[in-house]
Amino acid sequence: MSKFINESWLVLVMGIVFATMLAGAQQSLSDRIKENQLRALNEAIAEVVPGTIRSESIEIENEDFKGNVYKCLDDGGKLVGWALDSSGGGFVDKIRLVVGIDPAGENIVGLKVIENVETPGLGNKIQDPEWTGQYIDLDTSREIKVEKRPPNEGANEVQAITGATWSSRYVTDIVNAALPKVRPELDKHR
Amino acid sequence: MADDNGSNLAQFKAGLLSDNPVLVQLLGMCPALAVTNSLENALVMGGAATFVVVMSNLITSVLRNLIKPHVRILIFTLTIATFVTLADLFLKAYMFEVSKKLGAFIPLIIVNCMIICRAEVVAIKSGVARSLADAFGIGIGFTLALSIMGCVRELLGSGSLLNIPLFSKEFVDVHAWVIMVLPPGAFLTLGAIIGVVNHLRDRKSGGGA
Repeated sequence: MSKFINESWLVLVMGIVFATMLAGAQQSLSDRIKENQLRALNEAIAEVVPGTIRSESIEIENEDFKGNVYKCLDDGGKLVGWALDSSGGGFVDKIRLVVGIDPAGENIVGLKVIENVETPGLGNKIQDPEWTGQYIDLDTSREIKVEKRPPNEGANEVQAITGATWSSRYVTDIVNAALPKVRPELDKHR
Repeated sequence: MADDNGSNLAQFKAGLLSDNPVLVQLLGMCPALAVTNSLENALVMGGAATFVVVMSNLITSVLRNLIKPHVRILIFTLTIATFVTLADLFLKAYMFEVSKKLGAFIPLIIVNCMIICRAEVVAIKSGVARSLADAFGIGIGFTLALSIMGCVRELLGSGSLLNIPLFSKEFVDVHAWVIMVLPPGAFLTLGAIIGVVNHLRDRKSGGGA
């Protein structure tokens, strides 16, 4: 035991010191980081549900849904849509996105990936508006499928990113998982 | 590599030019290729890496007599990982937009060979002044290399510099060499710059006095 301590005491001490430093940094910066993420979230909501001036967070009773839903309102307080903030596993790590749906809850009006660490140049093309634009006008009541070819007319499909099929599928999985849990509850909050 | 008898200033200057980590030692090329599609990204990456290599060299040098050989790699990695995490938290708090653009590449600074190389080659056996001179030289040299690439790629690929457009949007839409902001453009640019650097080095050693 003493030989172990003798050989490794510096590693242990440095480990403890560094861990404390990191914990301290995390503590003091976490408020600012949360503020930044909140601002990015609000900007994303305004992007995916056009016409949003302000949004209110609403409670979803379905315990399986682990995200947040926002009721999006215009200047006069009229409902312009709903924004679902949902996350899931991606190819590399967590993907967090905001999907906007119309006031009736029937069609997607926008999608934005706000957090991801997918492969740069390939998977992280899920951030591109050209790719996420495919989700606009898709039907929220049917499962969205990912195909490796351009989407067929009327089918609820998006085309996968070349070389990033998995990342494309993971994004769609997050949307497909969130919509059925949230849609039935929207009426309560109109 | 600069020898032990050289001055601290020589050590610093070596990292900038004659021993530039990206252009001469060919280390840290992954971030050089990946985040240089804009000058802003290149500068932030360079700044973060410089911070890490300076702190890593400083701590390694201060503790050099206490670090036992068989745990040194472990200690280097521990130190580097800690300071990269600090840099990451700082960027997320104070430069949120850029940190999102750099994405996974900030945490990847931990595996940037040039940083652990400085600890192993210089900091573990040199005093604090020498180690700091080396770290600043390498860090600024890295930032320099990345900035050159960032300038070329952003200018030719987006027609802007530091996100300030230098040409009209119509001109850029028609004439921009878009490949420059994509991965192939990164390879082309880096290859061309290294080619020029090699040529200059050959001339200096072969054709010079």
